[in-house]
Amino acid sequence: MLTYALRRLLLAIPTLLLISLVIFLLVDLAPGSPMSEIPLTVPPEVRLKMIAAMGADQPVFVRYVLWLRQFFWVEPMHQVDLLFGSHIVEGQQRIISYQTRGPVFTVIGERIPQTLTVIGTAYLVGVLIAVPIGIYSAYRQYSWFDQLGTFIAMLGYSVPTFFTGVLMIVIFAIKLHWFPSIYNTSLKVTDWASLLAQIRQMALPVLVLSLFNAAEISRYTRSSMLENLGQDYVRTARAKGMGEGTVVLKHVLRNSLIPVVTVIALGIPGIFGGAIITENVFKVNGIGAALIGAIHANDLPMVQTLTFIFAVLIVVFNLIADILYGVLDPRIRYD
Amino acid sequence: MKLKATLLGAAAILAMAGAAFAERGSDGHVNVLYWQAPSILNPYLSGGTKDLESSSLILEPLAGFDEKGALFPRLATEIPTVENGGLAKDLTSITWKLKPDLKWSDGTPVTSADVKFSYDYCKAPDGGCAQASKYEGIKSVETPDATTVVVTFDAPKPNPYLAFVGATSPIIQKAQFEKCLGAAAPTCTEANNGPIGTGPFKVVSFKTNDTVELEANPNYRDPAKPAFATMTLKGGGDAEAAARAVMETGEFDYAWNTQVNPELQTQMTAGGKGHFVNGFGTLVERIEMNLTDPSSDLPEGERSTVKHPHPILSDINVRKALSMAIDRQALVDVGYGTAGQPTCNLVPAPEAYASDNTGCLKQDMAGAKKLLDDAGWKPGADGIREKDGKKLHILFQTSVNPVRQDFQSLIKSWWTDLGVDVELKSVDASVFFGGDAGSPDTFQKFYADVEMYANNFDGTDPEAYLAGYKCDKIPSPATQWQGENINRFCNADYDKLAAEMSATADIAKRGELAKKMNDMLTKDSMTIVPLVDRGRLSATSNTLGGVVLNVWDSELWNAQDWTRTK
Amino acid sequence: MLPMLRPRGRTMMLDAPAPALVQVRDLKMYFPIHTGVLRRHTGDVKAVDGVSFDIMAGETLGLVGESGCGKSTVGRALIRLYEPTAGSVRIAGDDILSLAPEALRRKRPEMQMVFQDPQASLNPRMTLAQIIGEPLIEHSGLNPTDRLARIYELMDQTGLNRRFANRYPHEFSGGQRQRIGIARALALNPKFIVCDEPIAALDVSIQAQVVNLLEDLQDRLGLTYLFISHDLSMVRHIADRVAVMYLGRIAELSPRDALYARPLHPYAEALLSAVPEPDPDREGSRQRIILQGDVPSPANPPTGCAFCTRCPKVMEICTTTRPILAEVEPGRQVACHLYPSEARSNQPNSRHAAPSGSTGGGSSQHQQHGV
Repeated sequence: MLTYALRRLLLAIPTLLLISLVIFLLVDLAPGSPMSEIPLTVPPEVRLKMIAAMGADQPVFVRYVLWLRQFFWVEPMHQVDLLFGSHIVEGQQRIISYQTRGPVFTVIGERIPQTLTVIGTAYLVGVLIAVPIGIYSAYRQYSWFDQLGTFIAMLGYSVPTFFTGVLMIVIFAIKLHWFPSIYNTSLKVTDWASLLAQIRQMALPVLVLSLFNAAEISRYTRSSMLENLGQDYVRTARAKGMGEGTVVLKHVLRNSLIPVVTVIALGIPGIFGGAIITENVFKVNGIGAALIGAIHANDLPMVQTLTFIFAVLIVVFNLIADILYGVLDPRIRYD
Repeated sequence: MKLKATLLGAAAILAMAGAAFAERGSDGHVNVLYWQAPSILNPYLSGGTKDLESSSLILEPLAGFDEKGALFPRLATEIPTVENGGLAKDLTSITWKLKPDLKWSDGTPVTSADVKFSYDYCKAPDGGCAQASKYEGIKSVETPDATTVVVTFDAPKPNPYLAFVGATSPIIQKAQFEKCLGAAAPTCTEANNGPIGTGPFKVVSFKTNDTVELEANPNYRDPAKPAFATMTLKGGGDAEAAARAVMETGEFDYAWNTQVNPELQTQMTAGGKGHFVNGFGTLVERIEMNLTDPSSDLPEGERSTVKHPHPILSDINVRKALSMAIDRQALVDVGYGTAGQPTCNLVPAPEAYASDNTGCLKQDMAGAKKLLDDAGWKPGADGIREKDGKKLHILFQTSVNPVRQDFQSLIKSWWTDLGVDVELKSVDASVFFGGDAGSPDTFQKFYADVEMYANNFDGTDPEAYLAGYKCDKIPSPATQWQGENINRFCNADYDKLAAEMSATADIAKRGELAKKMNDMLTKDSMTIVPLVDRGRLSATSNTLGGVVLNVWDSELWNAQDWTRTK
Repeated sequence: MLPMLRPRGRTMMLDAPAPALVQVRDLKMYFPIHTGVLRRHTGDVKAVDGVSFDIMAGETLGLVGESGCGKSTVGRALIRLYEPTAGSVRIAGDDILSLAPEALRRKRPEMQMVFQDPQASLNPRMTLAQIIGEPLIEHSGLNPTDRLARIYELMDQTGLNRRFANRYPHEFSGGQRQRIGIARALALNPKFIVCDEPIAALDVSIQAQVVNLLEDLQDRLGLTYLFISHDLSMVRHIADRVAVMYLGRIAELSPRDALYARPLHPYAEALLSAVPEPDPDREGSRQRIILQGDVPSPANPPTGCAFCTRCPKVMEICTTTRPILAEVEPGRQVACHLYPSEARSNQPNSRHAAPSGSTGGGSSQHQQHGV
């Protein structure tokens, strides 16, 4: 298993390098300029100087190689310097955002907490409600519960979050005043009142996103359960005289969860990627909002760094999903 | 103007100060929403409005503009004028005096060295200072003593109130930014995101493009201000959601730039939680005529260059007829409501510079048709007017934006009625305004016959703005397509006027020149067809007092005077 | 129906006072067909359509027929792995089909099943010890040490090496997996085991081993088997009596030797003509009966005799009247109009006719044990 994981990781390196180059070229070739959001009152010659100060006037390959060096050497070593007080890359330029003129990783550091809190919770809640629904829907296939579940899943999957999000805001924030429509990232949970405030401001985005996540995962669970419910070993378990609970939860569920766990693992990079639309609708200002903001502002270093981190996460979680598969399913061996 | 303006400004401040009896911090917390969130709080590193206005809570210039566009002193004791001896008679130097006992929010004294440093910081090579144009033409900045700053110009400077005036060129603390000159500027993240200033608030925490938490500056020069102890400046979402947060949910006290359509404005106002405030500055939505031929038949490098005059738009009658066919009031009603007013001027304000021409306000379709008929543009078999084998076919481009697309289709319908074949095109804003010399779709390259966008000038003086239409400002391949004169307008008389203005100090004379130049571009030649004077529209809670919308400076210019009303 | 039959069986079976271990009466298993947008119930697949037979304790009843004839369904419905549509099944005195779920679960140890596909019928995520041990935890109340001892005992009995206890099913060969399946079925000391094509998925070389194991276990543990198979030679080897099924019904139920020597039902005749003879002389003279046409759909079986569409000896009556299973010779029951019987002439159109009892089976079984 370890050799397998190592081999996969080694193979991922050229893949990721290629991905980084492709992203860089794509983002660079995309029309637009980091100056597009600067008011027209700033005269052209000043704009040129600003672009030069950002280094955005350099040839694309110079910028790419610089970015590679910054991403793979300066940034990791900067963390080392911070941790151990060493001076390995002192004074060397980190990846600097065009928008903020500050390090991209500072922004990422600011954004991660709310993304993980909101999007992560939504994912967790989504999984927690999806799996039981999926199990029961499959067990009582074509029952009213299953039909209702299918309907809600279809709704959750097909109605976009920018619609459900705005709808929730109109109903619960504007009409009923139950929840805030804007997420306060500065709120610190220190007591019961602030905890309640945190829950209240998370409620709507979590609801919207978890509906979306649950729709997908409950479908996976249901179909995987259905597939396994029809298997011969389930009949064997019944023939053994096992109770229905044991049959469904022990025999069927454990086998059904293998593909579901994989799907869940593959969805985790999406948490870090943030939910661009939902984050914007509820002003959560997480990673997704940072990415879309950076795209609007043609902030190449930020877009490049974020998308590359997503690529890395996707590769890593693919590997994790594969390894999980091997752990969960004794029939699969990586040697 | 200066003395009068100063007095007026001071009076306005006094009046408001009188209203605020509360002591500093007694009104608790205030929530401000900038849906485009600030990326950085150092205005020298970013030209973005959101960044400038956010930082204006913390950093202050020597003097600012009030809501009427008049100068008033902030860190300076008074506005230097020739009369009070602060401005040299030959306009080659200006002497600013700092208020006594000014302190930074960290308690250290503000000195003239900080003022000089602000100049040095922006002039440092490789720094990419966004406000460099403010410090152009300055020979030296001297500091004879701790409270005196003498700015000497290369040549007589008719408008000496650029450097250290307005939110775009504030004073930063030397001690904090000393190590951040030039190429080192981006390494000072902490300073850029948390500058130490003299303004009513100081930064507690800053989250890029998200939230700024502020608290009252303990060393603010007026011990009774600000009334609010803390402020949250939050970003994210869009204009409509921002308006809702103030007008409908009441979560926020003030929301910046809540430009929503007129129908929503009415609907939200009915919510009763807040109201919109608007003000009109110099931002004019206009149609620019291309005086050169953008035809794709021309070789690359010659398209839209002065080498080839425009085949149809070179005819002034066509330009005039196109303007006459437009109903500007209808455009306002559709797109801006109370946040817009029809205009015929490129410089609609301030009063001293605004021409009085109103001739375009009334749509005159019959007159436009007659004008074209008389000029020899007769309708062809397909209803399209033509002359000498040239058809009135126009490619009309603008940036992607719902209001602009509405305008495009309205204008197209009027022009079609006139017998003009109109083809519409919309370009993503980041490309259109991106200025990328490699892209064919930038507004500077102008590979279209007419284009629509909005522009304004910073502060109250239109000199540089109008000078942008001189012959030498024409974008071309030789200038990497940079330059403000995107119509490729070239008139020796105009250039002469612009030169005259740059050498004239007398305000009345300057106003006269500006109006003349404005009329040459608009009324006389219809090179520029002004459509709408776009105001600023922001939303404020009914419980927030002291809000005065200022279009000449930062909207948060008087946050120190904001109070909580019951 | 049963109380009426039982005395009749007893009176005729004077030398065998014990009732049959398994008594199946008029078992029906219909799978509903739903069609259309509204999924209306529009018909049924009559997989098992009125099957009755008895199995004596210690006996092996072979159940043969083509694929799709419903023989596996009989096996599953019998121990209520399906919920049968109608009929009754008594195993060791209990009416299986009317037991409440919990009672049924407690009854399960007595009736077990060995499945056709040993790979699919074993939970891939459980080790051999877990698979065999699970029913012990559920039903036996043994402590872990005794349980392990019992698992090892079962592994020994079925010829599995004890070292394999912690391996997963996929690590075994097909024959070994079927041994696991058998060990699992044996774990709770069942009286009756349904062997549902236990050798169909195995290599020919392994088949004999597994069948020998089953016979060996039967001798040692006194098991009763319903041996479902399409392999007629293997059934001939293991079964005492054989039931031939066609389209959800039993065509003929006879003692093994009698059936193989002289099948009575035309279908049984055709089926058996396909069995190769080990003796080359007789193989040479074997007359293979090739049936024409396809098996009709069980959703829409022919009226009258199910076999009438393909029967080489079809008569007019066959297309109109369904023949019931009746004893035509001692110990031999046939459902065919060629063999007039008293019962049949009395109840010409009955679809609910009971068999004429299990007397023949009982006696023949006793005879065979004597051999």
